[in-house]
Amino acid sequence: MSNIINLLTRAFFMSTPLILGALGEVIAERTGMMVTAVEGIFLIGAWGGFIGAYLSGNLVIGFLVAMICGILVAMLYGVTTVYMNQHQIVMGTAIAILTTGFCTFFYRVIFGVQTTPLKVETLPVIAIPFLSEIPIIGPIVFSQNIVTYLTYLLVPVIFYVLFKTSLGLTLRSCGESPEAADAAGINVRQVRFLAVAVAGCLGGVAGAYYSLCNVGMYTSEIISGRGWIAFGICFLGNWNPVGALTFGIVFGISDAIGVYVKALGLAGLPSELFSALPYFLVIVLTVCRKQLKVPEKLGVNYIKEN
Amino acid sequence: MGTPAIELKNITKRFAKVLANDNVSMTIGEGEVVALLGENGAGKSTIMKILYGLYHATSGKIFIDGQEKVITNPKEAMSLGISMIQQHFSLVPAHTVTENIILGNCKGKIDYKAKEKEVQELADYYHFDVPAGEYVKNLTVGTQQKVEILKALYLKARILIMDEPTAVLTPQESETLMQFIRDYVAKGNSVVFITHKMKEVIEVSDRIIVMRNGRVCGQIEKDEVATIDEATLAYKMIGHDLDELQMPGEEDYSKRKKRVVVEHVSIQPKDQVALLSDISFDIHEGEVFGFAGVSGNGQQELCEALYGARKLTSGKIMLDEEDISTLSVKERIKRGMGYVASDRYRYGMVADMSLSENMLLKASYLSRWIKHGIINWKKVDEDTETAIKDYTIKAPDHMISAGSLSGGNQQKVVVAREVDMGDSMIIFDQPTRGLDLGAINYVHKTILREKEQGKSILLVSTELSEIFSLSDRIAVLYKGKIMGIYKNTELTTEKIGLLMAGVDEKEEKHHEK
Amino acid sequence: MKNNKTKDFIIWTILAIVLGLFCSFVFLPMLDVNPITAVSIMFKDTFSDTFTIGNIFIKTAPLILTGLAFAFTYKANLYNIGAQGQFYTGCICASAASLALGGKLPGVLVILIAMICSMLGGAMVGFIIGFLKARFNANEFLISMMSTYVITFMMQLLLRTVLQESKHEYLKTDYLDSSTWLPKIIPGTSVSFGIVIAVIAAVGCWFLLYKTSIGYRIRVTGMNQEAARMSGINPKNQYMIAFAISGAIAGLAGLVEVNGMQHMLLTGFDTDIGSYGIGIAILANAHPLGVIPAALLFGFLQVGGTVLGHASDAPASVIDLMQGFVMLFVLMSFFFRRKIELRRLKQQKIAGEEAV
Repeated sequence: MSNIINLLTRAFFMSTPLILGALGEVIAERTGMMVTAVEGIFLIGAWGGFIGAYLSGNLVIGFLVAMICGILVAMLYGVTTVYMNQHQIVMGTAIAILTTGFCTFFYRVIFGVQTTPLKVETLPVIAIPFLSEIPIIGPIVFSQNIVTYLTYLLVPVIFYVLFKTSLGLTLRSCGESPEAADAAGINVRQVRFLAVAVAGCLGGVAGAYYSLCNVGMYTSEIISGRGWIAFGICFLGNWNPVGALTFGIVFGISDAIGVYVKALGLAGLPSELFSALPYFLVIVLTVCRKQLKVPEKLGVNYIKEN
Repeated sequence: MGTPAIELKNITKRFAKVLANDNVSMTIGEGEVVALLGENGAGKSTIMKILYGLYHATSGKIFIDGQEKVITNPKEAMSLGISMIQQHFSLVPAHTVTENIILGNCKGKIDYKAKEKEVQELADYYHFDVPAGEYVKNLTVGTQQKVEILKALYLKARILIMDEPTAVLTPQESETLMQFIRDYVAKGNSVVFITHKMKEVIEVSDRIIVMRNGRVCGQIEKDEVATIDEATLAYKMIGHDLDELQMPGEEDYSKRKKRVVVEHVSIQPKDQVALLSDISFDIHEGEVFGFAGVSGNGQQELCEALYGARKLTSGKIMLDEEDISTLSVKERIKRGMGYVASDRYRYGMVADMSLSENMLLKASYLSRWIKHGIINWKKVDEDTETAIKDYTIKAPDHMISAGSLSGGNQQKVVVAREVDMGDSMIIFDQPTRGLDLGAINYVHKTILREKEQGKSILLVSTELSEIFSLSDRIAVLYKGKIMGIYKNTELTTEKIGLLMAGVDEKEEKHHEK
Repeated sequence: MKNNKTKDFIIWTILAIVLGLFCSFVFLPMLDVNPITAVSIMFKDTFSDTFTIGNIFIKTAPLILTGLAFAFTYKANLYNIGAQGQFYTGCICASAASLALGGKLPGVLVILIAMICSMLGGAMVGFIIGFLKARFNANEFLISMMSTYVITFMMQLLLRTVLQESKHEYLKTDYLDSSTWLPKIIPGTSVSFGIVIAVIAAVGCWFLLYKTSIGYRIRVTGMNQEAARMSGINPKNQYMIAFAISGAIAGLAGLVEVNGMQHMLLTGFDTDIGSYGIGIAILANAHPLGVIPAALLFGFLQVGGTVLGHASDAPASVIDLMQGFVMLFVLMSFFFRRKIELRRLKQQKIAGEEAV
């Protein structure tokens, strides 16, 4: 039993960055922008977060640096796709290669060659009084770090903004019919650009979560496809913040199982299969799930001859 | 007369590929309906889009109530009381009517219930039958247009620009629209009415401005409108007279062989309204069979069903005594069917490919240009050059991309190919939509030429004049049903209008009692 | 006019490449490396001896193939960003076949069998992705991305179990029997027949796409799916065909790498060859023949970067930096080229009017 509770605590812990990344993706994709640079944004977030935290000795500063890095990369992506009409998928790949080189290169510039990896203290767990004492749910949900709590909080906030405010209406109309939004006096490109920047901010924090909350160090393999999983969660969650939360937890669980099985180190057990589980799950769920609410103009750049 | 509500002075607009407006000046007075008449590509829409802030003029000035204004985006235009209803509606299909109307005009938290009530009241005030809470995608085109008008009224527009508003309406719906326009200008507002249909221009407008090739080429003042005739207008619009087409006579086809037989064809997607129900008709050798109707009543589905691009739920289609109901598009092309789709850009051509590559489009499984899977490009190129000559397509060579041609020339390419492919039957779905009068004439002549060769021709059109001038027999399609099949001479515009609106003859009589 | 366009494309691309390299070298002083020395090392040392020049071709061969793999689906408006996975599948198939049959059958025959196996393996993976796209309308680039990770773990599992070397020490296979190695074609270097295979594949792709009805249908589907459907071309079939061919090409890269270069299969090698392929395809504007020079450039950057690393303190990551910047600027150059082209059209138009 306690094993299962530990596993689920871990699952919730691991789901946070996926949910965060997916939330950012939901906002951007609702305006029609697939942020395919998400993998690069995660990576630079992890990198910036670690460097900020290590050099200042303060995790908050680490997260701030991660946000800024994430926004900058997202803005590069936004400028090239929204304003320079470059293809969204192709651009994402270019940025992934660039950030990989950039992060490794400047890690070396800043820290030189290190024989053992540098470490920072990870973000502490804050058990919420009373709530954390509820059996089963308490330790799983209410004994997490502050970023996780804030992520939970963000879900209803984004939901409210998207579906109950004029800002949300503006965002959604840009993804459904940019022509109509344009005719209604909305600056479609600006809206899309800003939405991508917001996705970059959240993605940066998500990336930093891996370096500052999970392992306390930075390696170039730290993200290895997690950004893409967040991207997939946004699809699976029907471009809805609540859906992102749900599928984020599902993937947190599968991620935790992989780590757990690997840690067991049982000789007969093919742990690789469990490590591949989240990725495999994305494939299976993408195939099974009917995507009902795809924003009509998702992935299509808005070009106006003038 | 005092200061006009709007004055445009010496507006020029240049796009990369065309000069859309060349030194255009015009005024729009308070309380008048101004018609902007011209062919497609005459620059009517462009000049109005400049006024609405969607395009920026290369040079020229705009005066509103005598004051010079710079309008950089639609929002500014709207705040000056100008609204425009574009030909392709600017609505978000996935959103509700209310969401569409308040888009860009609300702040912070939205109280959907209150807004919906407000919109409904506005609709009721103008006697518009529009459900405020419904999703736009579920509405008919006519209702969607009302939503567009409501959007303008919600913003308290005093100048309403309408781009080809009647193109999607039945004659009766158009009449209701005209009534609204009269009421609206009576309150001191103005309407600019962009159109290429001469009849309605004479009917509704106070003043007519005629445009040609990006320039204003004539004005018909208030006192002249009542007396002007269509021929004079047409002359002003195109700069020369039109060839008259021979009206189909009362030829008797019943003795000729039936090439196409359609029996009880229905298409009914699961849990949805039937797209086509119980369609039966036949086309003889050398006959043009016309389908009239407001677009969106099953015309495209019918054409696609005939061509094999849609599965039938039930029914049978025969071509030259062979049952082709279950054959694929590929097989039907082999049997000599041609199809000029209504949306050529989407279904009929590949814009980024060369003219030669577009000529090959329907023949990729035929042995005509292909041996053992390898394409004989030399032969394709030669045949394309021949088509360019035969159809007087304005293109430098066969290598130019189809997308860089004008609409009329693109359509000529498509028509050339389909006429070539269609040995037994050719489907023409709105073959002249968006073309200038010269190209329209050419397409019409081609249709009659192919008819002479004994091919069976199915013609779908929303332009009644086109249907009347080409078809031997006419069927009216309404909500996927045939309202009746008549000989050309049996129908009047009024009668066909009622049929297009779904009013049955029997019902009509019933009403009279 | 068409020539003008090609000229523009080449000039702008070269400009973008130079700018990309400049941006990467600007940072080198931070590691106490003189950028000017670095450039001269990269060019001089790389081209100083045939062996190093040969290395460029060795690097280039699989890059041509992964570049082709992306370019081919790109023509069908599909995004196979999982060439990495198909490459690994090809590696597994090629090494398994070579290990099982090496020494038992004549070398040429084994190579042929390994080649077929690697292509079939890659094609299988590609076909599955294409099938899922066609049958379930699944998002192909998400699936192809994820398939790479799944296949990578599968490869690890195989290397830990059935394919592991006889000593059971490292995650790698035994050396392949030397009869199954691709023959060397340039004396004094390690350049194998792989580069020839790659170039033949590029020419073959070009022929297939532009001269045959199969390729024509794929291109039509890519440019206008609805028009394809209305012309009797089933877009879904084209997805599957395009993806299967793309996968086969990526799988072939596996053979070139395993039988031509590594002579064994080991864990975690060439981890970015798939995404480099995307960069190369973009550089080549997705033209199969353009892929060859583009891959040569990337091959040169990789060898040059390594040479630079040996001769100075510059780390290997400078290679990724260079490739990333080059890609970024090439993509940006597309935008400026288009802008200038439009402006030119406008001016021609004005000139034409004034002449009248």
